[in-house]
Amino acid sequence: MSRAQDKVGTWIGWAFFADLANGLALTFGYMFSKPVTMQYPDKEKWLPYSRYRGHHFLKRDEEGEIKCVACELCARICPCDCIEVVPYEDEKGNRHPAKFEIDTARCLFCGLCEDACPADAIALGQQYEFSSFSSADLVIGRDDLLAKPGKAATGGGVVAARLNTEQGVLVKSSEQQGYNWWRNIRRT
Amino acid sequence: MELIVALGLIVFKVAFLIAILLLLPLPLTWLERKIAGHIQQRMGPMRVGWHGLLQPMADGIKLLTKEDHIPAEADRFLFKLAPILALAPPFVVFVAIPFGESVSVLGHEITLYVSNMNVALLFVFAVIGIEVYGVIFGGWAANSKYAVLGSLRTCAQMISYEIPMGFAVIGVVMLAQSMSLLDIVRAQADVWNIVYQPVGFFVFFVAGLAEAQRIPFDLSEAEGDLGAGFHTEYSGIRFAFFMVSEYAIVLLVSVLVVILFFGGWNGVLIPLPPLLWFVLKVAFFVYVFIWFRFTFPRYRYDQLMAIGWKVLLPLSMANIIITGVLLGAVGAP
Ligand code: SF4
Ligand code: SF4
Repeated sequence: MSRAQDKVGTWIGWAFFADLANGLALTFGYMFSKPVTMQYPDKEKWLPYSRYRGHHFLKRDEEGEIKCVACELCARICPCDCIEVVPYEDEKGNRHPAKFEIDTARCLFCGLCEDACPADAIALGQQYEFSSFSSADLVIGRDDLLAKPGKAATGGGVVAARLNTEQGVLVKSSEQQGYNWWRNIRRT
Repeated sequence: MELIVALGLIVFKVAFLIAILLLLPLPLTWLERKIAGHIQQRMGPMRVGWHGLLQPMADGIKLLTKEDHIPAEADRFLFKLAPILALAPPFVVFVAIPFGESVSVLGHEITLYVSNMNVALLFVFAVIGIEVYGVIFGGWAANSKYAVLGSLRTCAQMISYEIPMGFAVIGVVMLAQSMSLLDIVRAQADVWNIVYQPVGFFVFFVAGLAEAQRIPFDLSEAEGDLGAGFHTEYSGIRFAFFMVSEYAIVLLVSVLVVILFFGGWNGVLIPLPPLLWFVLKVAFFVYVFIWFRFTFPRYRYDQLMAIGWKVLLPLSMANIIITGVLLGAVGAP
């Protein structure tokens, strides 16, 4: 088609509001498409990938003993100075923390404590729902840290959620490949 | 006795009308937010009631309990007057609007209109013109630059668009040989006016969009550049007044479009009750208003003026002339 004809076609289109009609048709089509909304926290929630840096947790070894040797390297490297470790020696002569407190109100979740630990005792897990009304509640002690959920085996899925977040985090994915954010978006 | 019954009937009708007009914005806001959400692949309100059905109630309660703030430098009298001036005219206009012929209740014939004025169309345009004062006073009295800018724009917009709007309906009046809305609808019993007056409909609809200050002509409250335009400084119940007024005008323009161009309560093909036909048509045009809002971007100010004066006005004038010539040459259809 020559350029002049092209122009005439455009003008005819404009005269009959072809461009406006196109827009209306597009929005009308979208009105019946599936929403991409994730209804958090009412219905569903997204699970972060295993590399996600969420709430800290302390690990145990095979005998169920706490892995931490209370070397305080994590407390040293922490840029926010939010870890406090007080060591003690048990009857077998092993060092362990008597007190291990992380002030998550100050923590910036950099993950340096995890990198620095020589005993592979501390790591940042998957939990991200631990907001609180008081900053005092955000200082987490040793026993709580031991009970925290660990790293996710899989991530990126969507699971059922409810407003009550004290149930802990469900590490279970309905979509093994991760959530496809684009699945309902039309790209032309 | 006759007089008392007639008066009582009128009072009842007016009260019924006011109740409907005050309550209708509730489902309309819900609908608007839902449609907006789904067009943008969101869900809209979901948390209050089933699919957010009670959200308008929650909004209403919130607006009622909010502080009614009046800016320190504001003109207090005009500031309080403006929402009422904006709210009253759309309500008054509905007095002149017929919703159907009549229904028989308990053996009595009850007409579905409050009054059958012979100049109803003129009345509608005269009264709806007053609404602009609410907007102008509101913007001026608030003593805020955004509000003044918004109301200045409204001022120019209303003047530019009321003229083509008025001209656009002249073709309809010529066809029906009457200014009574009832007669206009009766004249469309066989063929709707849209067949004879497509240009008139186009001009009227576009001007109606501007009149209702809806996107793409919502320059008076352009959220993007003016905060909220003329009602930037309003809060609480006064803000709600402006909102109700906006929805009443959307409804009014839809009703006028249906009465003037789409045969009012005359149905086609499917034999439904006339009132139902009327409600369905109006609902469709309300939907079109909302649909437009989430499809088109806002026009620039100079474009708005150019469309009004350079496109709509000549079109509506040509429409009058052509209609007149055809009526003279061919005779009434
Ligand atoms: S994540 Fe970073 S800031 Fe938080 S405790 Fe570990 S080292 Fe400190
Ligand atoms: S968590 Fe690791 S780095 Fe921190 S005190 Fe224990 S062993 Fe040392």
